[in-house]
Amino acid sequence: MTIYSLYIYDRHCACVYYQDWHRTRRPKPAVEGGILNAVSRAVAPQAADTSAVNTSAYSSPRNTLSFDHRVCRSLDGPKSNALPFDEEAKLVYGVVLSLRNMVKKLSGRDEQFTSYRTSAYKLHLYETMSGYKFIMLSDPSTDGLRFILRQIYNGPFVDYVARNPLVSMDSREQGIDNDYFRASVDRLIRGLSVFT
Amino acid sequence: MAVFGLWVINKAGGLVYQRNFADGLAQLTSNEYLVLAGTLHGIHAITSRLSPIGSSSGAQVIEAESFKMTILLTATGTKFVLLTSLAETTAESVLQKVYEAYADAVMKNPFHTPEMPIRSDGFDSRINALIGTGQS
Repeated sequence: MTIYSLYIYDRHCACVYYQDWHRTRRPKPAVEGGILNAVSRAVAPQAADTSAVNTSAYSSPRNTLSFDHRVCRSLDGPKSNALPFDEEAKLVYGVVLSLRNMVKKLSGRDEQFTSYRTSAYKLHLYETMSGYKFIMLSDPSTDGLRFILRQIYNGPFVDYVARNPLVSMDSREQGIDNDYFRASVDRLIRGLSVFT
Repeated sequence: MAVFGLWVINKAGGLVYQRNFADGLAQLTSNEYLVLAGTLHGIHAITSRLSPIGSSSGAQVIEAESFKMTILLTATGTKFVLLTSLAETTAESVLQKVYEAYADAVMKNPFHTPEMPIRSDGFDSRINALIGTGQS
Protein backbone atom coordinates (compact mmCIF):
# COMPACT_ATOMS: atom_id res chain seq x y z
CA MET A 1 0.00 0.00 0.00
CA THR A 2 1.93 2.95 -1.15
CA ILE A 3 1.70 6.27 -2.93
CA TYR A 4 3.69 6.94 -6.06
CA SER A 5 3.22 10.51 -7.16
CA LEU A 6 1.12 13.67 -7.09
CA TYR A 7 0.39 16.11 -9.92
CA ILE A 8 -1.46 19.41 -9.62
CA TYR A 9 -2.88 21.15 -12.70
CA ASP A 10 -4.39 24.63 -12.81
CA ARG A 11 -7.34 25.83 -14.81
CA HIS A 12 -5.09 26.74 -17.77
CA CYS A 13 -4.43 23.01 -18.25
CA ALA A 14 -0.77 23.35 -17.25
CA CYS A 15 1.05 21.24 -14.68
CA VAL A 16 1.95 23.54 -11.81
CA TYR A 17 3.27 21.04 -9.28
CA TYR A 18 4.75 17.56 -9.16
CA GLN A 19 6.02 15.39 -6.33
CA ASP A 20 6.83 11.73 -6.15
CA TRP A 21 7.63 9.21 -3.46
CA HIS A 22 8.03 5.66 -4.54
CA ARG A 23 8.35 5.66 -8.31
CA THR A 24 10.74 3.00 -9.48
CA ARG A 25 10.92 4.43 -12.98
CA ARG A 26 12.40 7.87 -12.57
CA PRO A 27 10.83 10.56 -14.75
CA LYS A 28 13.12 11.95 -17.36
CA PRO A 29 13.75 15.67 -17.06
CA ALA A 30 11.59 17.84 -19.25
CA VAL A 31 12.89 19.45 -22.38
CA GLU A 32 13.65 23.14 -22.22
CA GLY A 33 10.48 25.15 -22.43
CA GLY A 34 8.32 22.09 -21.94
CA ILE A 35 7.18 22.84 -18.43
CA LEU A 36 6.81 25.98 -16.39
CA ASN A 37 9.46 27.04 -13.92
CA ALA A 38 8.88 26.11 -10.31
CA VAL A 39 7.05 22.84 -10.86
CA SER A 40 9.56 20.50 -9.33
CA ARG A 41 13.30 20.54 -9.10
CA ALA A 42 13.51 16.87 -9.88
CA VAL A 43 12.11 17.26 -13.36
CA ALA A 44 13.29 20.72 -14.31
CA PRO A 45 14.99 20.81 -17.71
CA GLN A 46 18.74 20.53 -17.68
CA ALA A 47 20.48 23.46 -19.33
CA ALA A 48 21.86 21.73 -22.41
CA ASP A 49 24.64 24.16 -23.35
CA THR A 50 26.30 24.36 -19.92
CA SER A 51 26.46 20.58 -19.55
CA ALA A 52 28.26 20.26 -22.90
CA VAL A 53 30.86 22.76 -21.70
CA ASN A 54 31.24 20.84 -18.45
CA THR A 55 31.95 17.45 -19.96
CA SER A 56 34.77 18.79 -22.08
CA ALA A 57 36.32 21.01 -19.40
CA TYR A 58 36.00 18.72 -16.41
CA SER A 59 38.52 16.07 -15.46
CA SER A 60 38.21 12.38 -16.16
CA PRO A 61 36.90 11.16 -12.76
CA ARG A 62 33.78 13.20 -13.38
CA ASN A 63 33.50 11.75 -16.87
CA THR A 64 34.06 8.15 -15.90
CA LEU A 65 31.54 8.53 -13.13
CA SER A 66 28.87 9.51 -15.56
CA PHE A 67 30.07 6.89 -18.01
CA ASP A 68 29.88 4.18 -15.40
CA HIS A 69 26.44 5.35 -14.58
CA ARG A 70 25.47 5.04 -18.17
CA VAL A 71 27.04 1.60 -18.55
CA CYS A 72 25.27 0.35 -15.46
CA ARG A 73 22.01 1.55 -16.84
CA SER A 74 22.54 0.60 -20.45
CA LEU A 75 20.75 -2.69 -19.87
CA ASP A 76 17.79 -0.62 -18.83
CA GLY A 77 18.21 2.01 -21.51
CA PRO A 78 16.72 0.54 -24.67
CA LYS A 79 13.90 -1.14 -22.76
CA SER A 80 12.74 1.82 -20.72
CA ASN A 81 10.58 3.92 -22.94
CA ALA A 82 10.31 6.58 -20.28
CA LEU A 83 8.76 9.77 -21.50
CA PRO A 84 10.20 13.19 -20.74
CA PHE A 85 8.31 14.70 -17.87
CA ASP A 86 6.48 17.36 -19.83
CA GLU A 87 5.03 14.78 -22.22
CA GLU A 88 4.05 12.55 -19.36
CA ALA A 89 2.31 15.44 -17.61
CA LYS A 90 0.39 16.26 -20.77
CA LEU A 91 -0.62 12.61 -21.19
CA VAL A 92 -1.90 12.45 -17.62
CA TYR A 93 -3.93 15.61 -18.14
CA GLY A 94 -5.26 14.32 -21.46
CA VAL A 95 -6.39 11.04 -19.96
CA VAL A 96 -8.11 12.83 -17.10
CA LEU A 97 -9.85 15.29 -19.40
CA SER A 98 -11.07 12.61 -21.82
CA LEU A 99 -12.34 10.40 -19.01
CA ARG A 100 -14.14 13.34 -17.45
CA ASN A 101 -15.93 14.14 -20.71
CA MET A 102 -16.81 10.52 -21.27
CA VAL A 103 -18.29 10.11 -17.79
CA LYS A 104 -20.26 13.32 -18.14
CA LYS A 105 -21.64 12.17 -21.49
CA LEU A 106 -22.55 8.71 -20.25
CA SER A 107 -24.31 9.74 -17.11
CA GLY A 108 -26.04 12.75 -18.56
CA ARG A 109 -25.65 14.58 -15.28
CA ASP A 110 -22.79 16.81 -14.27
CA GLU A 111 -20.86 13.90 -12.83
CA GLN A 112 -17.21 13.60 -11.90
CA PHE A 113 -15.03 10.62 -12.55
CA THR A 114 -13.21 9.78 -9.34
CA SER A 115 -10.59 7.13 -10.06
CA TYR A 116 -9.42 4.35 -12.33
CA ARG A 117 -7.39 1.25 -11.65
CA THR A 118 -4.94 -0.74 -13.77
CA SER A 119 -2.96 -3.81 -12.80
CA ALA A 120 -0.01 -1.68 -11.64
CA TYR A 121 -1.42 1.58 -10.26
CA LYS A 122 -4.55 3.50 -9.37
CA LEU A 123 -5.15 7.12 -10.31
CA HIS A 124 -7.35 9.34 -8.11
CA LEU A 125 -8.72 12.72 -9.15
CA TYR A 126 -10.03 15.57 -7.03
CA GLU A 127 -11.15 18.74 -8.77
CA THR A 128 -11.78 21.98 -6.91
CA MET A 129 -14.32 24.68 -7.73
CA SER A 130 -11.53 26.95 -8.90
CA GLY A 131 -10.42 24.50 -11.57
CA TYR A 132 -7.39 23.00 -9.84
CA LYS A 133 -7.04 19.27 -10.40
CA PHE A 134 -5.24 17.13 -7.85
CA ILE A 135 -4.16 13.80 -9.28
CA MET A 136 -2.54 11.07 -7.23
CA LEU A 137 -1.11 7.73 -8.37
CA SER A 138 -1.05 4.96 -5.80
CA ASP A 139 -0.84 1.20 -5.78
CA PRO A 140 -3.95 -0.68 -6.97
CA SER A 141 -5.14 -1.99 -3.62
CA THR A 142 -5.68 1.46 -2.12
CA ASP A 143 -9.23 2.57 -1.51
CA GLY A 144 -10.49 6.01 -2.42
CA LEU A 145 -7.84 8.62 -1.87
CA ARG A 146 -10.13 11.49 -2.76
CA PHE A 147 -10.42 12.36 0.88
CA ILE A 148 -6.64 12.64 1.15
CA LEU A 149 -6.51 14.86 -1.90
CA ARG A 150 -9.19 17.02 -0.35
CA GLN A 151 -7.11 17.21 2.81
CA ILE A 152 -4.11 18.32 0.77
CA TYR A 153 -6.24 21.04 -0.75
CA ASN A 154 -7.75 22.18 2.56
CA GLY A 155 -4.47 22.10 4.45
CA PRO A 156 -1.14 22.72 2.74
CA PHE A 157 -2.55 24.16 -0.48
CA VAL A 158 -4.71 26.83 1.13
CA ASP A 159 -2.09 27.67 3.74
CA TYR A 160 1.08 27.74 1.66
CA VAL A 161 -0.12 28.49 -1.84
CA ALA A 162 -3.41 30.35 -1.82
CA ARG A 163 -2.48 32.48 1.17
CA ASN A 164 1.10 32.99 0.04
CA PRO A 165 1.56 36.43 -1.53
CA LEU A 166 4.80 35.35 -3.21
CA VAL A 167 3.22 32.52 -5.18
CA SER A 168 1.53 33.71 -8.35
CA MET A 169 -1.32 31.29 -8.64
CA ASP A 170 -3.03 32.05 -11.87
CA SER A 171 -0.02 32.98 -13.94
CA ARG A 172 0.77 31.18 -17.11
CA GLU A 173 4.54 31.03 -16.60
CA GLN A 174 5.07 29.87 -13.04
CA GLY A 175 4.41 26.73 -11.13
CA ILE A 176 3.59 26.74 -7.42
CA ASP A 177 6.58 24.90 -6.03
CA ASN A 178 7.81 26.28 -2.72
CA ASP A 179 9.60 24.66 0.17
CA TYR A 180 6.87 24.99 2.79
CA PHE A 181 4.24 23.49 0.52
CA ARG A 182 6.48 20.63 -0.53
CA ALA A 183 7.48 19.85 3.06
CA SER A 184 3.96 19.95 4.43
CA VAL A 185 2.57 17.76 1.65
CA ASP A 186 5.41 15.34 2.28
CA ARG A 187 4.65 15.29 5.99
CA LEU A 188 0.96 14.73 5.36
CA ILE A 189 1.53 11.88 2.93
CA ARG A 190 4.18 10.16 4.99
CA GLY A 191 1.90 10.31 8.00
CA LEU A 192 -0.84 8.35 6.27
CA SER A 193 -1.48 4.77 7.19
CA VAL A 194 -1.52 3.71 3.55
CA PHE A 195 1.99 4.96 3.00
CA THR A 196 4.79 2.48 3.64
CA MET B 1 -26.84 -3.37 -7.60
CA ALA B 2 -27.62 -2.84 -11.24
CA VAL B 3 -26.08 -3.44 -14.62
CA PHE B 4 -26.54 -0.45 -16.89
CA GLY B 5 -24.93 -1.57 -20.13
CA LEU B 6 -22.58 -3.86 -22.02
CA TRP B 7 -20.24 -2.87 -24.86
CA VAL B 8 -17.99 -5.06 -26.98
CA ILE B 9 -15.15 -3.21 -28.73
CA ASN B 10 -13.05 -4.84 -31.44
CA LYS B 11 -9.29 -4.61 -31.60
CA ALA B 12 -9.36 -1.56 -33.87
CA GLY B 13 -11.47 0.41 -31.39
CA GLY B 14 -14.81 0.09 -33.17
CA LEU B 15 -17.96 -0.74 -31.25
CA VAL B 16 -19.39 -4.09 -32.39
CA TYR B 17 -22.06 -4.66 -29.76
CA GLN B 18 -23.88 -2.31 -27.41
CA ARG B 19 -26.83 -2.99 -25.17
CA ASN B 20 -28.53 -1.15 -22.32
CA PHE B 21 -30.15 -2.90 -19.37
CA ALA B 22 -31.29 -1.04 -16.29
CA ASP B 23 -32.00 2.70 -16.34
CA GLY B 24 -29.62 5.04 -14.65
CA LEU B 25 -27.47 6.42 -17.43
CA ALA B 26 -28.36 8.86 -20.16
CA GLN B 27 -29.93 7.61 -23.37
CA LEU B 28 -27.50 8.31 -26.19
CA THR B 29 -27.69 7.83 -29.95
CA SER B 30 -25.78 4.98 -31.52
CA ASN B 31 -23.35 7.46 -33.04
CA GLU B 32 -22.48 8.78 -29.59
CA TYR B 33 -21.85 5.26 -28.35
CA LEU B 34 -19.49 4.72 -31.29
CA VAL B 35 -17.55 7.85 -30.39
CA LEU B 36 -17.37 6.93 -26.71
CA ALA B 37 -16.13 3.44 -27.51
CA GLY B 38 -13.35 4.86 -29.67
CA THR B 39 -12.39 7.28 -26.91
CA LEU B 40 -12.29 4.47 -24.39
CA HIS B 41 -10.08 2.43 -26.66
CA GLY B 42 -7.58 5.28 -26.84
CA ILE B 43 -7.71 5.97 -23.11
CA HIS B 44 -7.11 2.30 -22.38
CA ALA B 45 -3.94 2.39 -24.46
CA ILE B 46 -2.62 5.55 -22.82
CA THR B 47 -3.25 4.35 -19.27
CA SER B 48 -0.81 1.50 -19.75
CA ARG B 49 1.89 4.06 -20.58
CA LEU B 50 1.43 6.23 -17.51
CA SER B 51 2.50 3.63 -15.00
CA PRO B 52 4.99 4.89 -12.41
CA ILE B 53 6.47 1.45 -11.95
CA GLY B 54 7.18 0.01 -15.33
CA SER B 55 4.79 -2.08 -17.37
CA SER B 56 1.12 -2.04 -16.57
CA SER B 57 -2.09 -3.27 -18.12
CA GLY B 58 -4.60 -0.75 -19.38
CA ALA B 59 -7.34 0.60 -17.14
CA GLN B 60 -9.46 -2.18 -15.67
CA VAL B 61 -11.99 -0.31 -13.57
CA ILE B 62 -13.03 3.31 -14.04
CA GLU B 63 -15.12 4.74 -11.25
CA ALA B 64 -17.38 7.76 -11.23
CA GLU B 65 -19.81 8.98 -8.62
CA SER B 66 -22.80 6.81 -9.52
CA PHE B 67 -21.49 4.10 -11.82
CA LYS B 68 -18.33 2.27 -12.76
CA MET B 69 -16.98 0.65 -15.93
CA THR B 70 -15.20 -2.68 -15.75
CA ILE B 71 -13.06 -3.55 -18.75
CA LEU B 72 -11.89 -7.02 -19.74
CA LEU B 73 -9.16 -7.04 -22.37
CA THR B 74 -8.84 -10.43 -24.06
CA ALA B 75 -5.67 -11.87 -25.56
CA THR B 76 -6.96 -11.09 -29.05
CA GLY B 77 -7.45 -7.39 -28.37
CA THR B 78 -11.24 -7.43 -27.96
CA LYS B 79 -12.55 -5.37 -25.04
CA PHE B 80 -15.66 -6.20 -23.06
CA VAL B 81 -16.96 -3.24 -21.07
CA LEU B 82 -19.64 -3.56 -18.41
CA LEU B 83 -21.26 -0.43 -16.95
CA THR B 84 -22.67 -1.12 -13.50
CA SER B 85 -23.59 0.64 -10.31
CA LEU B 86 -20.82 1.18 -7.78
CA ALA B 87 -22.06 -1.55 -5.44
CA GLU B 88 -21.85 -4.32 -8.01
CA THR B 89 -19.10 -6.78 -7.08
CA THR B 90 -19.61 -9.47 -9.69
CA ALA B 91 -18.68 -7.41 -12.75
CA GLU B 92 -15.49 -9.31 -13.55
CA SER B 93 -17.11 -12.76 -13.39
CA VAL B 94 -20.02 -11.53 -15.50
CA LEU B 95 -17.55 -10.32 -18.08
CA GLN B 96 -15.82 -13.70 -18.15
CA LYS B 97 -19.16 -15.37 -18.85
CA VAL B 98 -19.93 -12.79 -21.55
CA TYR B 99 -16.58 -13.70 -23.13
CA GLU B 100 -17.56 -17.37 -23.07
CA ALA B 101 -20.90 -16.54 -24.68
CA TYR B 102 -19.05 -14.48 -27.30
CA ALA B 103 -16.71 -17.38 -28.09
CA ASP B 104 -19.63 -19.80 -28.39
CA ALA B 105 -22.30 -17.77 -30.15
CA VAL B 106 -20.28 -15.30 -32.20
CA MET B 107 -16.85 -16.70 -33.00
CA LYS B 108 -18.11 -20.16 -33.85
CA ASN B 109 -20.81 -18.73 -36.09
CA PRO B 110 -19.70 -19.34 -39.71
CA PHE B 111 -21.84 -16.45 -40.93
CA HIS B 112 -20.24 -13.87 -38.67
CA THR B 113 -17.35 -11.77 -39.97
CA PRO B 114 -14.79 -11.11 -37.25
CA GLU B 115 -14.42 -7.51 -36.08
CA MET B 116 -17.79 -6.60 -37.65
CA PRO B 117 -20.93 -5.60 -35.70
CA ILE B 118 -22.55 -8.55 -33.96
CA ARG B 119 -26.04 -9.43 -35.19
CA SER B 120 -26.71 -12.78 -33.59
CA ASP B 121 -29.88 -13.96 -31.86
CA GLY B 122 -27.94 -16.68 -30.12
CA PHE B 123 -25.61 -14.15 -28.51
CA ASP B 124 -28.53 -11.91 -27.54
CA SER B 125 -30.40 -14.72 -25.84
CA ARG B 126 -27.30 -15.88 -23.96
CA ILE B 127 -26.74 -12.34 -22.73
CA ASN B 128 -30.40 -12.15 -21.68
CA ALA B 129 -30.00 -15.33 -19.68
CA LEU B 130 -26.84 -13.99 -18.10
CA ILE B 131 -27.81 -10.43 -17.25
CA GLY B 132 -31.57 -10.35 -17.69
CA THR B 133 -32.98 -6.93 -16.97
CA GLY B 134 -29.91 -5.78 -15.10
CA GLN B 135 -31.74 -5.17 -11.83
CA SER B 136 -31.11 -7.57 -8.97
